[in-house]
Amino acid sequence: MRERVEHIRAQFRDEVRQVADMAALARVRDRYLGRKGGLITQLVKELGALPPEERPTIGRLINELKEEAEAALERLRVQLEEQAEAERFERERVDITLPGLRPLFGAPHPITLIRQRIEDIFVSMGYAVESGPEVETSYYNFDALNIPPGHPAREAQDTFYLSEDLALRTQTSTVQIRALERRRPPLRIIAPGKVFRRDTPDPTHNPMFFQVEGLALDREITMGDLKGTLQEFVRRMFGPQVRTRFRPSYFPFTEPSAEVDFSCFVCRGEGCRVCKGAGWIELGGCGMVHPRVLRGAGVDPEEFTGFAFGLGLDRMVALMYGLEDIRLLYENDLRFLEQFGF
Amino acid sequence: MRVSYRWLKELVDFDLSPRELAEKLTMVGLAVDRVEEVEGDALLDLDVTSNRPDCLSHLGVAREIAVLCGTSLRYPETRVEEAEEETARATSVEIHAPELCPRYVARVIRGVRVGPSPRWVVERLERLGQRSINNVADITNLVLLELGHPLHAFDLEKLIERRIIVRRARAGERLVTLDGVTRTLSADMLVIADAVRPVALAGIMGGEETAVSETTRDVLLESAYFHPLSIRRTARAMAMSTEASYRFERGADYEAPRRAADRAARLIVEIAGGRILREPIDVYPNPLRRERVRLRRQRLRRLLGMDVPWAEAARILRALGFHIERADEEELWATPPSFRVDIDGEDDLVEEIARHIGYEAIPATLPAWSGYGELLPGEEKRRALRAVLSALGFSEAITFSFVNEQWDALFRSDGARVCRLQNPLDETRAQLRTSLLPGLLESLLHNLHHGVRSVRLYEIGTCFFATAEGERPIERERLGLVATGRLNERAWQDHHRPFGFYELKGTLEALLEKLRVRQVAFEPSPQEYLHPGQSARLLLEGEPIGDFGQLHPRIAAVFKFRQPVFVAELDLEKLLQTEGEAIRYRPLPRFPTVVRDFSFLVSRHVAYAEIERSIAELGIPEIVEVRLFDVYAGPNVPAEKRSLSISVRLRAEDRTLTEEEIAAIQARLLAHLRDRFQIELRA
Repeated sequence: MRERVEHIRAQFRDEVRQVADMAALARVRDRYLGRKGGLITQLVKELGALPPEERPTIGRLINELKEEAEAALERLRVQLEEQAEAERFERERVDITLPGLRPLFGAPHPITLIRQRIEDIFVSMGYAVESGPEVETSYYNFDALNIPPGHPAREAQDTFYLSEDLALRTQTSTVQIRALERRRPPLRIIAPGKVFRRDTPDPTHNPMFFQVEGLALDREITMGDLKGTLQEFVRRMFGPQVRTRFRPSYFPFTEPSAEVDFSCFVCRGEGCRVCKGAGWIELGGCGMVHPRVLRGAGVDPEEFTGFAFGLGLDRMVALMYGLEDIRLLYENDLRFLEQFGF
Repeated sequence: MRVSYRWLKELVDFDLSPRELAEKLTMVGLAVDRVEEVEGDALLDLDVTSNRPDCLSHLGVAREIAVLCGTSLRYPETRVEEAEEETARATSVEIHAPELCPRYVARVIRGVRVGPSPRWVVERLERLGQRSINNVADITNLVLLELGHPLHAFDLEKLIERRIIVRRARAGERLVTLDGVTRTLSADMLVIADAVRPVALAGIMGGEETAVSETTRDVLLESAYFHPLSIRRTARAMAMSTEASYRFERGADYEAPRRAADRAARLIVEIAGGRILREPIDVYPNPLRRERVRLRRQRLRRLLGMDVPWAEAARILRALGFHIERADEEELWATPPSFRVDIDGEDDLVEEIARHIGYEAIPATLPAWSGYGELLPGEEKRRALRAVLSALGFSEAITFSFVNEQWDALFRSDGARVCRLQNPLDETRAQLRTSLLPGLLESLLHNLHHGVRSVRLYEIGTCFFATAEGERPIERERLGLVATGRLNERAWQDHHRPFGFYELKGTLEALLEKLRVRQVAFEPSPQEYLHPGQSARLLLEGEPIGDFGQLHPRIAAVFKFRQPVFVAELDLEKLLQTEGEAIRYRPLPRFPTVVRDFSFLVSRHVAYAEIERSIAELGIPEIVEVRLFDVYAGPNVPAEKRSLSISVRLRAEDRTLTEEEIAAIQARLLAHLRDRFQIELRA
């Protein structure tokens, strides 16, 4: 009996070594441990027929063999399963370096990107966004802004005229007057929009470009508020390290008037190609609303004071993205537009 | 305006390097664009704003420096030694147009020796960009740069009757100006004439014939004040801009003529010899003056948001040449100097003070506010449209508002009237657009020309429609789309699939879906720029809001497109105003949905929407959805037919449908479709 057990063990070990797949494994399990006719199962059954004194020793021996066989088969099963899984994974392996299948996205125009950022900044500061027509009468484009007939700013070489009295607006300041007709002070508005000037296109000029106008009118608005507001705008738009500078200038519709510059964010004011060595970049014009403009709009300058500003959007886009030729803005070349994300 | 650092030093004391000076001037409103170091000097390029003609001279700039540095101005020497002979005996001046020429000063210098200028004069002029002509002409130019007042020197002997008459030109009168050009004058132009003919275009340029030359012995120096508007009008009409006209048209100093004439006469005698006749002629019938302006201390504080020491405010104004009177603790009255054309109100004085205490001294604050911020009406929707279009592969274009008239006409609806520019930059782009499509198609063309074959662009912008003569045009906000090429040529699977009609329609449907606008319908489009078989009109609440489809091959040929191009244009105003359907939760179905798919042949002329509508009209509540999943025409389908495959979803809200119920519905549905459309079920 002992020899038979050892023989079966040897035979089992030999067969198990040859198992290569699940089917073979099942066959071996069946042959040795099958409920009916399994060689080891048979041994267990025959145990009862042995003399009682042999039973404990042989019984332990058979049990050991059974446990060994079960353990070996289980190990083999796990191993085969892992192997099968590994093979499946290998079969299903993708080349992760192949490009992803992305839907094709379009890009927003960089002017829109900047315009929306500006709108969001000012809206969060309590400003309402306003708009006005692109074709304006001389009244809104000039007279109401304290630019009387004969003023150089009215010269035809700067303005696209439709008739003697109608022109494409040369500045978004027109919306100041329109807004004052719709809302009474106190008010705070910004008005982004297209403006037109008769400039032959070159790397820094287009006959059409975008401005954003701002106007705040209240009982106690000061030039300090103008400084603080634009400083805050610049900080949010270009970052906390960027400084602003206000210097006197001239616009017919503001008094005092100022030009606002911000320190070059490329060289941090050291002077570089972007700021043409000046360390400062012109952001736009601003000032305290001229009393004549207020009076013309039916606002008493003794009761209300206010500030206004006009900033060039195209310029901001050019600076923000390092654009050297702003004619690209209106060519709509996809190789250009796609650089602005989606 | 270019100024010399050394010259400024002669006029005012200051202890600043050229760079420091440039910085200070910039911060006081005279922006310095460039500092150029030259041997023994530095040249500063000033950007002088149009309201400050008084700073178009070394003296004017020096005055600002004097205020900045708290030093005083050294006015150039103007004292002259006069001869016995009286000016009035040598010449006469009459002003026939005092409204255009309020003042005319004439000095006569006899016995000059005209010749080359001494070295220092030549150098000074050349450094500042001017050519030396002869000693007399050079001195007038030098005084212009020094004092800012334009002068002109005539050869007295060449003036007929040695007289000066300031008058309007006679229409058609001719004058050969110093630049050798023969100018034909009109009656609104002011000229300086002698007894018979014009000898100078007043305030702009002298005449050639009466100019000072090598043979000149006696010089008549003109130092006048002309009305700015008259000079500007004439200079524009003549397309001329000279150093003189540039200053006169901005506003010269009406008190300067006498001093400028004396200064120039003195220098001429110094370098060209001669004697200055006694007592210049000074015709000044109605002396000009400036109105005094009140400044309240409270206004100053209120505008700047800070308290400027009152004494400092007065000091600044005085140093700038204002005459201060009746000053007390709360207000003062200031009369601007004759050279300050820009001051006519209290806030102008505030600016003068602010400039000189420095804008940087004003504390930055944020205004208190109780209002609220808001975007433009419809802006959230516009942003949503942009997001959807980006996700669908459309990039945003911005095109010019002025377009080619012929191209615009291709897309213009009947009866639309156009606005034209009177002075376009380019005659082929002289019209305001009535459609976004010409600009977008031009951009598309640009991309094709640069090798980008698959292009999808959109634009949100204004179109213009003329109304009555002299009235502002109607401006409409529109959305335009153009698309051509492949759907996704950069993908490495399925990249051949072209963008077609249904992609375009799907894009529009996605936009409507995003806005939750439901009252929409499609019908055939009457637009002639669209392919008659591949075009549709979009209606919102029964109103047409746009057309889309394939660009008509004839129009495509105009643009030389060699591949199908799809276009759409919608009027945004109604779309943005239409309230989207509110989002309301619906309970999820509690009973299972059964799906039945049918493929059938039907005549090509039956529109799919009719089939869907007809199923809906059956009114079977258990049919919860009909979904098209395939359309096929080609081999195995008769020519006049196509195969449609639909998926019908059946469900009851209160029970699970039985096989019998399903079979009954299916039978009813198919019988109906057979009856209505003669469909033949396919296997």
